[in-house]
Formats: sequence, C-alpha cells, structure tokens
Amino acid sequence: MASKGLPIAEVDEIPPGGVKLVRVNGIEIGVFRTPGGYAAVKNVCPHMGAPLCLGRVTGTFAPSRPQEYSWVREGEILRCPWHAWEFDLLTGEALQVPGKRVKTYRVTVEDQRVVLHV
Amino acid sequence: MKIIDTDVHPRWRSQDELAGYIPEPWRTRFIERRFSIPHNGYPNPTSSFRHDAVPPGGGQPGSDPDFVVADLIERYGMDYAVLIGDSAQLNISALANADAAAAMATGYNDWLIDRWLSRDPRFLGSVYIATQDPQLAAAEIDRVAVHDQFVQVALGSGARMPYGQRFYHPILAAAERNGLAIAIHPLNEGSLIFGAPTPAGYPSYYFEYHALAVSALQTHLVSMVVEGVFEKFPGLKLVIVEGGVGWLPPLLWRMDKDWKSLRVEAPWINRPPSEIVRDHVRITTQPLDEPGNPDHLRQLCSMFPADEILMFSSDYPHWDFDDPTRIFTGFPEASRERIYYKNARDLYGL
Repeated sequence: MASKGLPIAEVDEIPPGGVKLVRVNGIEIGVFRTPGGYAAVKNVCPHMGAPLCLGRVTGTFAPSRPQEYSWVREGEILRCPWHAWEFDLLTGEALQVPGKRVKTYRVTVEDQRVVLHV
Repeated sequence: MKIIDTDVHPRWRSQDELAGYIPEPWRTRFIERRFSIPHNGYPNPTSSFRHDAVPPGGGQPGSDPDFVVADLIERYGMDYAVLIGDSAQLNISALANADAAAAMATGYNDWLIDRWLSRDPRFLGSVYIATQDPQLAAAEIDRVAVHDQFVQVALGSGARMPYGQRFYHPILAAAERNGLAIAIHPLNEGSLIFGAPTPAGYPSYYFEYHALAVSALQTHLVSMVVEGVFEKFPGLKLVIVEGGVGWLPPLLWRMDKDWKSLRVEAPWINRPPSEIVRDHVRITTQPLDEPGNPDHLRQLCSMFPADEILMFSSDYPHWDFDDPTRIFTGFPEASRERIYYKNARDLYGL
C-alpha cells in the first residue's frame, strides 16, 4: 500500500543534527536532520524499550586494527540514551547487534516542507 | 505485579545541598574543596546516566525525589525503592583521612533522611559509612538505625582488605544488632587508598573495569563465607548489589569443591558454602546477563536456588538500567513473584 505523506516541519525548522519528535497514529517517531538529508526512526529502542530518539546523534568508529581509530559517519549514528547501543539512522540497524533494528520511515522534502511517510 | 527495586541511586542537587549536613570543620573544607570524594579514573565514555532521567526542573538524574517517585516508583507501580549511594559520589572510604570520611558519612545519612526518606515512605535507605575506623562506623550505624526506613548498611567493593576479615567485625556486629543487612556495591575500586581494581592491576578502559567489576564483589563474598562471618553473626544477611547473576553458580560449585578439600583451614565451616550463601546472601539482578539464547538464562537460574536468592533491581537512573517489564519474561509466575517482590520483602522485613 502506498504510504501517505504527512508534512511535519518546514525545511529550516530542524537544524543540522537536530530532531523533531512527532506522534502519528499513536506511534512516536523522531525525524532527524542528517548531513545528507533527513531520517526518521521509531522512538522505541528494540533492546529494552528506551526512548531512543532522546539519545545523542553522533558518529562511530569504523572497524580498525588495534590501537587505530577511524571516526566516521558523524551525524548518521544515534546512540541510545540508556545502554548506548549505536543505531544507523539511515537503515535502523544496531551496529553491534546483528538482527536488531529500529523501524525507519521514509522522509522526503516537498514544497519546502519535510514530509514523513508512515 | 508487586515490585521492590533493590538498587536505586539518589544524588544531591548540588554539593552545597549535601554540605549543609556535614559537621564542621569538614563542611567548610568540603565546600572549599580542601578534600573531595575520590574517583578511580574510569568514567563511562558516553554517560553514567539515562539521558531521559533528567528531572523536569533540570539537574542531574536522581537528584529530584519527586521525579524519582513519578518516573520510577509510580511508572512501574513499585512498592518500595531501596536507595543506595552511587559510586561517583560516595567513595569516602577511599579517603586517607578517617575523620573527614566519617563526617561525610554522617552528613550523607542526615541528608538522606531529610531529603529522601522523609519525603516518601516507599523510599528505603542504606546507611552510609566510612570503613577506615570500624568503631566510628559502628557508632554511625547505631546513631541512624533508629530511623526505621533504613534497611541495610552500604559498603563499596573498593576496599583495602576483604570484608570478611576481623578488622571489619565491629561494622558487621553493628549491622546485625540493628537488624540491618550488609550491602556491597561496586564502588570505585582502584581509587586512592584502595588496591587496584583487578588483582592484576589497572586495565586501560572502563569497558574492562565494568566487565570485571564483579571480581571485587566475589572477593568479598568468598571472604565473608570462609572467614566464618555468618557463624559469628548468625543473624547477618549480605546483599551483593549490581554485579549481575551469571557468575554465581560456578563460584558456588568451586567453593563447595574447595570446602571438601580445604576445610582444614576454616574448620568453622561445617556445611557446604552454597548452603551458607542460600541462607545468608541475596543477589540483586542488574545488570542482568543477556545470553543470545534467552533460554540459557532460565537454564542458568536452574543451577542455583534463584527463587530464593535473586532480588530485582533496576539501577535507576544509571545508563545500564534494567526495565522490570522487559526482563525475566519467560520465567514462571511463582519465580517472578519471589524475584520481584517476596525475597526483598522477606529479607528487609517489610
């Protein structure tokens, strides 16, 4: 079934790195401004139910050899406010926990408005 | 379901709020930072607290009693929350100055009574003490134990020697005569006058410290069993806080095996150590182990008397909070009743 777009903000309303929480059909969703556009995830951590979207937007370390650090993807990773699990804002996947993911939603920009597709 | 949360951390809103309860001259020295509460130098790399537990009026998580009531006790319908000092603020037994430490304990206990225990009867307290001078500590226990919301005496797992040793017996005797359990919580092992956080020295990362924090708890548990503490103080109960659960069955097996061969060193141990633990020791559940196969946790809990020994804890408002509705989900209802409520009710005489 084709999803119906829901305008949730003006394009400049959510600053880079920021989030807007919206409730659609009883589901709380965080809409994030990422370096490449927008991303939206359900505000429930699949691990223990924490309000995931209250966590910090950050980057992550790419896999590396011991004692080497490579910080990547700043602004595309959401860290849970409870147990600090890292989630890929673009895919919803928990980086260290294969098979665990938070539900994501498509976000578009139409007529200068941010549109959430639920 | 009835719930008693056996590990909740209150904080003061500001250093000044606590300072008002500390006797002089230590109050002024504390305010002027002539001494401070030591930390072992292993801060959590992201946060020690749940970001969503900040009180509506601001301040640190756990610093607003009314918000703890709303955000924890009433949200989950808890009957009681056992308050116990957290590691970042209450590491006074690591201070070199025994009298400064004892004054801090007095200030903390009076602050807890005034700001928390008096606020809501569902808050239960842990008496805080400084272990440098066991006689002073025993006197502090006797002083505040008249307040009937205190249910236990809190010790940190950071120590100069294991808690079964006779140096500490005045503290254990005071707990027993006042009907208080002894609770041992991980607490900045490796800071100031304490030994290193692991028997092999200082690890590099908080990751390692956190994964191994149970090792100091195990040391104290084995010490108290083998030194005969529970024979000398038959009314004494011990609560191991915030070490998780999974380590317990193999330690009980090992102690029972060693007892068969090595009782000659400790002839006052006249029954298997696992029986002493069953009768005298309770374990709080957080941070609960999360094996990839959830059935493994149920199997693990069949390897020791979990229904008698475990007590639910959340560790609110800390980062590794366990949500009571999300753990032990596949356990029989009778087990859940004991773990979430009855074991703590019976231990604390509620």
